[in-house]
Amino acid sequence: MSASGRSGPRPAEQRLRRLLVMLPWLMERGEVSVAEASKRFDLTEEELAKDLELVAMCGLPPFVDELIDVFIDEGMIWVGVPRLFTRPLRLTSVEAFELLAAGRAAMELPGAEQGGPLGRGLAKLASALGEDDTSGVRIDLARSPLVDEIAEAARHHHQLRVDYWSPGRDEVATRLLAPRQVFTDRGEWYVTADDDRSGQLRTFRIDRIEACELTGETVPPVDGRTLPPPGTWFADGSVPRATLRLGPGARWVIERFPVDSVSEPDADGWVTVTLPVVNEQWLGRTLVRLGKDAACVEPDGWRDLGATTAARVLARYTRS
Amino acid sequence: MADRVERLTNLLALLLETRQPLSLVEIAGELNEQYPEGQGARRASFERDKSALREIGVPIEQEIVPGGQYAGQTRYWIDRDRYEMRDLQLDDDETRALQVAMAATRPGSTVGQEALWKLGAGLLDGSAPITAIVPDFASLPVLREAVSRRTSVTFTYRSVDRIVDPWGLLLRDGFWYLVGFDHARAERRTFRIDRIESDVVVQSDSKFDRPSDFDPRDAIPDDPKLIGADMSTPDARVRIDAHRASAVIRELGDGRVAARHPDGSIEVDVACANLPAFRSWVLGFLEHAEVIGPDDVRQHVVEWLREVAS
Repeated sequence: MSASGRSGPRPAEQRLRRLLVMLPWLMERGEVSVAEASKRFDLTEEELAKDLELVAMCGLPPFVDELIDVFIDEGMIWVGVPRLFTRPLRLTSVEAFELLAAGRAAMELPGAEQGGPLGRGLAKLASALGEDDTSGVRIDLARSPLVDEIAEAARHHHQLRVDYWSPGRDEVATRLLAPRQVFTDRGEWYVTADDDRSGQLRTFRIDRIEACELTGETVPPVDGRTLPPPGTWFADGSVPRATLRLGPGARWVIERFPVDSVSEPDADGWVTVTLPVVNEQWLGRTLVRLGKDAACVEPDGWRDLGATTAARVLARYTRS
Repeated sequence: MADRVERLTNLLALLLETRQPLSLVEIAGELNEQYPEGQGARRASFERDKSALREIGVPIEQEIVPGGQYAGQTRYWIDRDRYEMRDLQLDDDETRALQVAMAATRPGSTVGQEALWKLGAGLLDGSAPITAIVPDFASLPVLREAVSRRTSVTFTYRSVDRIVDPWGLLLRDGFWYLVGFDHARAERRTFRIDRIESDVVVQSDSKFDRPSDFDPRDAIPDDPKLIGADMSTPDARVRIDAHRASAVIRELGDGRVAARHPDGSIEVDVACANLPAFRSWVLGFLEHAEVIGPDDVRQHVVEWLREVAS
């Protein structure tokens, strides 16, 4: 098993790739503990030792000196005067994009400053990648001032009192939240928080918070690594599923909401989709918005949900 | 036989150190006994190694000898300047900030981790308190390079093969867009990246100039209800129930409130140039919102509801 829990033999390409980022780092330091290096490069100490011993054997004719002068002794790695592999391999186009997109997105998050370390680092990166201005790749994570307030509270472990409109019950209720994580996904902002009403860690949509204030209390911090990765609530198997038929005009549902599966389109462009349904109200509303471009086929109890929901809304228009 | 990592490392070192391009015969001679004897097997092993190195990003150059005794022979080498990562001169706090940025937007990304190691940063951990989920598509890195190099691209979109000058990429409301100049239509167009139906292919010999004041944010309205709007399109008036009122005011701004009623409900003016987008917005409130006018817009919503209810 390697450090991050993978098992089985590591492919040669992956080992070489790791060596090519590890060697320059080791060479710059000359002497590093095996423990530190293996942790940094996500390898077990055995994997690290095996790979370094292997490169120590590498050589080219006339073999007068080692290609890479490295040895391990008493838990320490020693690296001699380098000739090759002193610099990492250049960034691939995929890595370059990954860095640029991550940096630009993080600049749009609450708390980022243009002149701060991220802004400066990003400017150096962009210029090395030939991005002479910032309009080539723009990331726009528009947010309301409330998002900043809640992010600030999450950072400082401040407790919040909020009035939250719950779409399932269609009511506004006051809750005490210990905000743990703020994230944006598919254009919406969310806060994951310990919730006093349910006694659980829950994810709330920030635009459904009607009022929000600090209680003045602080909450004990939690280890961020114990939180679920943002945007994974729907992977929960206990959330009920529905199967819908969607016409070409309703395809946005697949892109907007998490889905379990999507069939190939039929001759008319319709697909069959299975997706998690957090509450009936949401499904009814979505079916009304989709109109004749969608139909619920399973479960039986939801087949007429679109029609009954539409009739309820229609009553408002026809009552007078 | 030697461990494959050892042979790959030796091959890489040889191609980096050589002063002149090397043929496969010469390479096999230098790496004695690391490649199989037979010509076919040797070629096959070498091709596998070459593509493994290219796969991890090593730029292997090659040329074909034009004449003389070795005419037609392929020779290989690596240009060290093209191989090595440029020193970005990042300060420690800048490297750390990029690492935090990666953790906040791409937790668990192996590509991101690889990139960070190249910058001299350490292990990515996924515990950032403020994060964004940034959707990922295989065509984005290709398009980014084409934007930066001002090279045209081809792809299929809505079943039409297109040649496009890519001007810029924009992530907005969870979707990636490409804004560019569509050659066949001879005008600026916006494409949703997730709806591109083919691979994106770079046309290296086709260069373009981009308008100097271009910003992709100007090409796509913030509010989908405004798409197709012009000065003559009237707003719709919508009544919103009390318990949804404050959320709507926050979304639209105080300036859109036309009336406030004693029961706490409000009337707001909302753009409706894009009727489907407007209808979808207003139906999102179900029976807690009602279109007051104009008549044709109200009628449109009523008919929509009748059809769904039947």
